[in-house]
Amino acid sequence: MSKKNVKPSAPTGIVLNIQRYCTHDGPGTRTNVFLKGCSLRCKWCGNPESIAFKPELSYDPRKCTGKEACGICLKAPFPEGTFYVVEGAADDTVHVNWDLAGDCDEALASLCPEGALEMFGNEMTVDEVLEEVEKDESFYRSTGGGLTLSGGECLLKPDFSAALLMGAHERGINTAIETACNVPWKYVEQVLPHVDTMLHDLKLMDPERHKKWTGVSNKRILENYKKAYEAFPDIDFIARTPLIPGINADEEHIRAVLEFIRPHKNVIDYELLPYHRFGLGKYLSLGVKYELEDYKTPSDDVVKHLQAIIDEAFGRTGEEPGGTK
Amino acid sequence: MTQEIGHGSFLRRIAIMVGAGHVSGINAVVIGAAKAANKLGWEMVGIRDGFDGLLYPERYPDGGLLTLDTKLIESLDPNAAGLLGQAPRVDPFHVRTVNEDDMVEEVDMSDELINKLQAENIDALIAVVGGRGLTIMYKLHRKGLNVVCVPRSIENEIAGTMVSFGFNTALSTTIELLDRVRQAAQAAHKIGVVEVLGEQAGWIALQAGIAVGADAVLIPEIPYDLQAVASRLQDKVTVTRPYGLVVVAEGAKQIVGDGKPEGKASSLKASLSPLATGDASGHVIRRSGKAAETVANGLQLQLAEETLPMVMGPWVRGGAPTAVDRQLAMAYGVGAMQAVKEGSYGSMVAFIPPNVKFVPLAEAINKIRIVPVDGGFVKIARSLGIFLGSES
Repeated sequence: MSKKNVKPSAPTGIVLNIQRYCTHDGPGTRTNVFLKGCSLRCKWCGNPESIAFKPELSYDPRKCTGKEACGICLKAPFPEGTFYVVEGAADDTVHVNWDLAGDCDEALASLCPEGALEMFGNEMTVDEVLEEVEKDESFYRSTGGGLTLSGGECLLKPDFSAALLMGAHERGINTAIETACNVPWKYVEQVLPHVDTMLHDLKLMDPERHKKWTGVSNKRILENYKKAYEAFPDIDFIARTPLIPGINADEEHIRAVLEFIRPHKNVIDYELLPYHRFGLGKYLSLGVKYELEDYKTPSDDVVKHLQAIIDEAFGRTGEEPGGTK
Repeated sequence: MTQEIGHGSFLRRIAIMVGAGHVSGINAVVIGAAKAANKLGWEMVGIRDGFDGLLYPERYPDGGLLTLDTKLIESLDPNAAGLLGQAPRVDPFHVRTVNEDDMVEEVDMSDELINKLQAENIDALIAVVGGRGLTIMYKLHRKGLNVVCVPRSIENEIAGTMVSFGFNTALSTTIELLDRVRQAAQAAHKIGVVEVLGEQAGWIALQAGIAVGADAVLIPEIPYDLQAVASRLQDKVTVTRPYGLVVVAEGAKQIVGDGKPEGKASSLKASLSPLATGDASGHVIRRSGKAAETVANGLQLQLAEETLPMVMGPWVRGGAPTAVDRQLAMAYGVGAMQAVKEGSYGSMVAFIPPNVKFVPLAEAINKIRIVPVDGGFVKIARSLGIFLGSES
């Protein structure tokens, strides 16, 4: 399929974060742009702030100086009942009633003098994002890096994503996306013409288990991948699995993924992402319950064993670095 | 809410629903409310599985609403669990669903819920809910729903009432299990470190600890000094008494030194988790067993004694209600119906001895009934020689 050259209208996206100097999401040194909004609910999700489409309030109690020293959020214009102090408690730190926090916006959050209140997500134009991305152009040139668009699920905003990636290409910047691909195919084919590398998740191969742990079956996801492999032969596809013991950190899953990807020569690698707990604190900041709180990270031995299977499948020797992150 | 009250030959039609999470005594609330309704000549219906029976009636071949008539109620065992069933999450403002594009999303179904209640000619709702459920019902009430809440809680942290039903059963079960742990620790010459429920309030840990004569009780209200706990255990665990028992509420907080922030994040961390390098990443989220593990490991490092961490956690939620909870739950059910009769909507039934009263929901939410650090139970514990994590 030939690459399109039609510039879409100038849409905006809700950008969660722009992370510079990343080295694990495509070739070279990259700038990761995270969009808000996801169509899966993976129970292990490390980025709960990326799930909702709209900007949302976050609260860091460590920065709060308490009712006596401040107490601004306990009065108007903050919505009544959203913030409160526990009477009789050892300290007068403010608590958030998350069920009443939906009306808080950027203007309100900015009133917190300590910065304990913040909004996750900013609406940005394509040009605004590209302005940030271009700051590291020299790194991209020297390392072969570029822009990686991630999420949430970046394919859920195909107009914005396509315009952003096309804008990057016009500036000579390499592009990559990180996706789980649970979107209609028309979204995929709108964005992929502007992509050089596609990092794509294969979380679970069994449809029922995929539904149990992520909320939906993987039927459409796998269909999208197959179509993408065939329709976009020039893209470098890199498969990925977030590795969670007791869910998918086993040989059976790894071999099933290899069976799925190996017939397609443009799938150049398969990376394992050992389950991490980096994002757990953010659940607290958002008042969201973490559903997988008792799961552990996979042991080094398990990761090495599974990585060896992948290396063998890709014809790599044990000494060569594998794709494990 | 509907002005057109009544259904069939009944004067009024009242619904009852149960929030997420099991608490012993739910059937007794249903029995109390239904008997009181029937006596008034009102029809009582139960909504199955939170609000699911109303929102998704197609999932229930026998109907999502269960008529709680006299015959059914007379045959209902108040000791049994959950006639109405439960849903894992009950929040009509954020209902997780899969849309027509096969994408998971949370949608606000609160209007639809209220409309369906109206369509069913239900003119008031009794909601048997915990702390968060009270806020959700408060929001529904602000949208016009006639609702009366019954407080249910294992931790007994709901403010506005002296006691929520479910607490006494959990406390009794905890005491029974702690007795067994103490015997096991005694036989094995170990220090049992048992984590019990109590994320925000330490009532279960404190009252159970007093009942079983624990050596130390650590509760969220009194941050603990691990070194001081170890020192106290050192004094108590001797050759002639070679065992110990420490009760830790899951929300117990350790006094930390300088509270140093996390070190610089790795690039992998930044890559996987977009805000992991920001300030919001520094919190430590609690997980079941973490409190016991922290204390047990800390004590074992500081003492020449073997510790045995255990997590009682959610397992004390089940079982038949105690006599106290049964009669309290029954009284709450009757009280809720009384509130409906009086038109005290947007309220929570509260037990303020010797009376059952109605507290406005606005006064019940955003408050937590914590253990007063200079209160009677703390004084009793200290008088019994139970160490509470710090000297004062």
